[in-house]
Amino acid sequence: MYVAARVDNDKCSGCKVCIFTCPDPNVIKLNKEAKIVAINEARCKGCGLCVVACPKKALNVSS
Amino acid sequence: MSKNIFRISPGFEDIMPDEYKELVESGPYGKDLGVSDMGTFKELLEEHPLCAGCGLALSLRLILASLPNPEDTVIVGSTGCSALAFPQVAVHNIHSLFGNQNAVASGLKRALKLRFPDKVKDVVVIAGDGATADIGLDMVMQSWFRSESITTIMLDNEAYANTGGQESGMTQQGAVMNMAPKGKNFPKISLPEIAREAGCSYVASISPAQPKRLEKMVRRAILTAREVGPSYVQIFSPCPTNYKFKPQETVSRIKQHQKEGHYQTKEYINTAAQEYLASIEEGKKNE
Ligand SMILES: Cc1ncc(C[n+]2csc(CCOP(=O)(O)OP(=O)(O)O)c2C)c(N)n1
Ligand code: SF4
Repeated sequence: MYVAARVDNDKCSGCKVCIFTCPDPNVIKLNKEAKIVAINEARCKGCGLCVVACPKKALNVSS
Repeated sequence: MSKNIFRISPGFEDIMPDEYKELVESGPYGKDLGVSDMGTFKELLEEHPLCAGCGLALSLRLILASLPNPEDTVIVGSTGCSALAFPQVAVHNIHSLFGNQNAVASGLKRALKLRFPDKVKDVVVIAGDGATADIGLDMVMQSWFRSESITTIMLDNEAYANTGGQESGMTQQGAVMNMAPKGKNFPKISLPEIAREAGCSYVASISPAQPKRLEKMVRRAILTAREVGPSYVQIFSPCPTNYKFKPQETVSRIKQHQKEGHYQTKEYINTAAQEYLASIEEGKKNE
């Protein structure tokens, strides 16, 4: 089943590692004020590379 | 200085998709952006057709974010998976016949030098391993022998991925693929060494698991090609679809290969390029 990545806002530190690791542009964006990332779920292919890269374990792709 | 090289033709503003409008408004031109700015500008249109977890897509985004002068860069691609994303790239690009990319790039660079003698115009080849190390190897090596001022970047997924998984010269010995069921008989070609022997002034091998280093190497390669001589960057970009690993494992697979010694991060800079790069990198530090 296709599942888009989700962010746990409490864990995200806004470090942007997931943005550098996503193979698609503009799926993950940084919300500069809140210092957390936001995922465009409609565009995410659910590959999970960001999940593995995130140092804070703030992302997941399982439902 | 901002340059609007991508514009929407008057009268078409309303019907263009939002993604394209955004590309025009927040493309990379004239802004001196880098890998650490990714996510704040658009280097590529959304929803390109490369597979989930594709190493090429990851490398391509990083390369595009690393271009020192995107507004005056022309990318020459070749048939293969990476070519599927080129129609969505926010930089001028040419799709050449499979394997001909370095010949097309050489001609283009010469023409640009004649047409714009006072301007810096970078010509960067970005092609797969089949196009670079097998079918196009003749054109690639001849361009190095002739010392053409171009950068060649190979996206090395160790296969002909776009045609369903044949072995390429870059496939590891013994690897079994969809269309190489008995396993490959010969070792992987050492193209960085060939590039060095064939006259490249700058040669590097890197992967998208080290984004900042990749950025530095791509920049150095392009700057070297401008002033000193041809340059070559090989980027290890594993393919989850043909090598049948999970999409989220692309980066861990790179690290595993590095640990096992199949792939190494390397950089070779000849004396002339070293002097040139040192002079600009020193200048940057003093800015
Ligand atoms: C002249 C020519 N020969 C063969 C092909 C068929 N073809 C299309 S893509 C491809 C494989 C490309 O492999 P590679 O360069 O490694 O890129 P990848 O798809 O792995 O990214 C081939 C052989 C072609 N399109 N044109
Ligand atoms: S087949 Fe492999 S190289 Fe081609 S787009 Fe898919 S993951 Fe990328």
